[in-house]
Amino acid sequence: MALTTAQFNQLQQELDAIKQQVQQQLGADDARYIRRVLVMQRILAISGRILLLLGFITPWLWALGVLALALAKILDNMEIGHNVLHGQYDWMNDPLLHSKRYQWDIACDAGSWQRTHNFEHHSYTNIIGLDRDFGYGLLRLSNDFRWRLRNLWQALTYVLLSVLFQWGVSYHELAAQRVFFGKKKADRHSQISDSALKKAFFGKGARQLIKDYVFFPLIAGPLWLWVLSGNALANLIRNLWTSTVIFCGHFTADIHTFSAEQCKNESRGQWYYRQMLGSSNFTGPTWLHILTGHLSCQIEHHLFPDIPARHYPAMAPKVQAVAANFGIPYNSGSFLRQYGSVLWRIVRYSFPGGAKAMAV
Amino acid sequence: MLGNQPSLSCYFLPLLQYLRPGYLPGLYRARLSSKYWQTADMLHLTLKVSPRWQGFMPGQHLYLTIAHNGRYVSRPFSICSPLSDWHSKRQISLCCKVSANGQFTPLLPTLASHSRVNISAAQGDFCWSQPAKSSVFIAAGAGITPIAAMLLSQRHWLAPVSLYYRVRGKENAALLQELKQLQKRNNLFQLYLSDSRTEPAADFTRQIIQAAGDNQFYLCGPAGFMQQITTALNAHGVASGRINSEQFGLAAALPAPVSDDAALSATFFQAGQAYQLAVLPQHSLLQSVEQQGLTPSFGCRMGVCLQCVCEKVSGQVRDMRSGLLSGHGSEQIQLCISQPVTELVIKL
Repeated sequence: MALTTAQFNQLQQELDAIKQQVQQQLGADDARYIRRVLVMQRILAISGRILLLLGFITPWLWALGVLALALAKILDNMEIGHNVLHGQYDWMNDPLLHSKRYQWDIACDAGSWQRTHNFEHHSYTNIIGLDRDFGYGLLRLSNDFRWRLRNLWQALTYVLLSVLFQWGVSYHELAAQRVFFGKKKADRHSQISDSALKKAFFGKGARQLIKDYVFFPLIAGPLWLWVLSGNALANLIRNLWTSTVIFCGHFTADIHTFSAEQCKNESRGQWYYRQMLGSSNFTGPTWLHILTGHLSCQIEHHLFPDIPARHYPAMAPKVQAVAANFGIPYNSGSFLRQYGSVLWRIVRYSFPGGAKAMAV
Repeated sequence: MLGNQPSLSCYFLPLLQYLRPGYLPGLYRARLSSKYWQTADMLHLTLKVSPRWQGFMPGQHLYLTIAHNGRYVSRPFSICSPLSDWHSKRQISLCCKVSANGQFTPLLPTLASHSRVNISAAQGDFCWSQPAKSSVFIAAGAGITPIAAMLLSQRHWLAPVSLYYRVRGKENAALLQELKQLQKRNNLFQLYLSDSRTEPAADFTRQIIQAAGDNQFYLCGPAGFMQQITTALNAHGVASGRINSEQFGLAAALPAPVSDDAALSATFFQAGQAYQLAVLPQHSLLQSVEQQGLTPSFGCRMGVCLQCVCEKVSGQVRDMRSGLLSGHGSEQIQLCISQPVTELVIKL
């Protein structure tokens, strides 16, 4: 690796200091903020569902309803759900905002998400073979993976994955455990049985389907088609948006990957180093940060996953300064530039060859 | 189901909280109507309570929850006011001992009047169950609060009652005024005040034993005090069935063996993330993890409210109240009263 042991320790101390500074400020402002987002989410969701019914007056009201409902789902999944499930607000001792109890408006069960995302992805970020979020087992995103024929049409696979993103996320853990297909991997251990996984998957999935495609259309009576199509469209918008944001976090042009041997007996400083090299930010106005759940500051999120996300934009310049000090690349750019490079990566590695992303 | 919340009311809760601040699920709203210092360290709070609250039996306690710097914190307190205050004015009073290095009680004097707090339903089974029989009440320090509520609530006195009230310094006797008035009004009630600065514990215990007779006993005070009285009474042939008691505080904490005070390693899983921490055998697990930046949920911090219950996957812990050791396998433990004995794996 590029830094010496002493440098890694120094890196750890400097990043820990940034974290501690924010931890000491946590308080009433953070509580007020997240409750306000929660209120906003509820208002958007309720008004969205009402506006869908008013489509018979003018379709514009219906379109407004779709937009409101989609925004509500995005806020619930990103700024509230994702962050609460990381335990960012556990310190508030509020039963509504506790990582153990929160359940979100998405097909994926919260417990399953905590195991695959919080634990697997955040611990083993970009380690080939351990972090299944690098390509989701579907896409070849660097020459660290052998080329297969199916990669040829992976641009199409990507579009499909984005359209059905909530189901991809929800199926992620079952795919890893080979619950339905494939041979079990000997080196994979699970804290939870296959039957419990199936129960959570079908239970949560069915509840979401019934809610959006049976219950709300039914109570709309003759207006059922407006409601059903509106719900489907809102879910689609949420899927496309979340998928786009998440792809910009780890699959941009200058991202690095790691091998499992490299990361054996890693120190905290080395872990920080890997998180910085494995993640990328994009810039934008405050509203954009909020709609991404502050995953626009993916680097800060990966360094400090349990710090309330609204602090990331203010932490970013400090982290960038530390990175510059140690000569560690800090991967940031405009949203369009970063997303463009993601699309290029997907297309480029549909074909054999290409560069390895492995850090040396 | 509709809002991905345990209930529909939880879905609307953020809106409700926005319109009516202080609304918390499962708790009741109350307003601080007055506060004054009973003694140098006992703060007397009077709360105006929401009419939805179901009321209480004298002797019961409740959890007081306040929002401090964005977080909810709660502690149990016994109600010290008579039932009639609740019936006539929807008011209850708490008498809270403020300990300067505590985490909760130092916040109480800073509460502005009319500020909003939350209370839980009244709970506990420490009640004056047989007022027709002659009874002896024994209280020490803040242990007077539930006993004062029982005595001050009683309307029809049927049998003689004596109260042995032990305090450190007579100026530190909370609720003394009210109890003295009761004694004036009521000749079946006798109050004996004992100052631990001048009267040795042995003399106090002897007095109680002399008064034993076939009385019913009601005890409330620090754990060490109660243990001592109970043992003495049992030794004098008072059956345990005649002794009713309520314990508070974590004073019974047995000292951890001094030999192994080296830190142990423990793995905690919070929100799916693993954290490897060093925990000290003489601290509670809750203290240790909080010091190191984790934020498990907690409540009373003395093993009563069960909010900090979490799953111990492996390893052994000691119950700080009883000194009992746990098994080594998977079980539910309370972080606030558990000390590590071996290496641990815990899911927060």
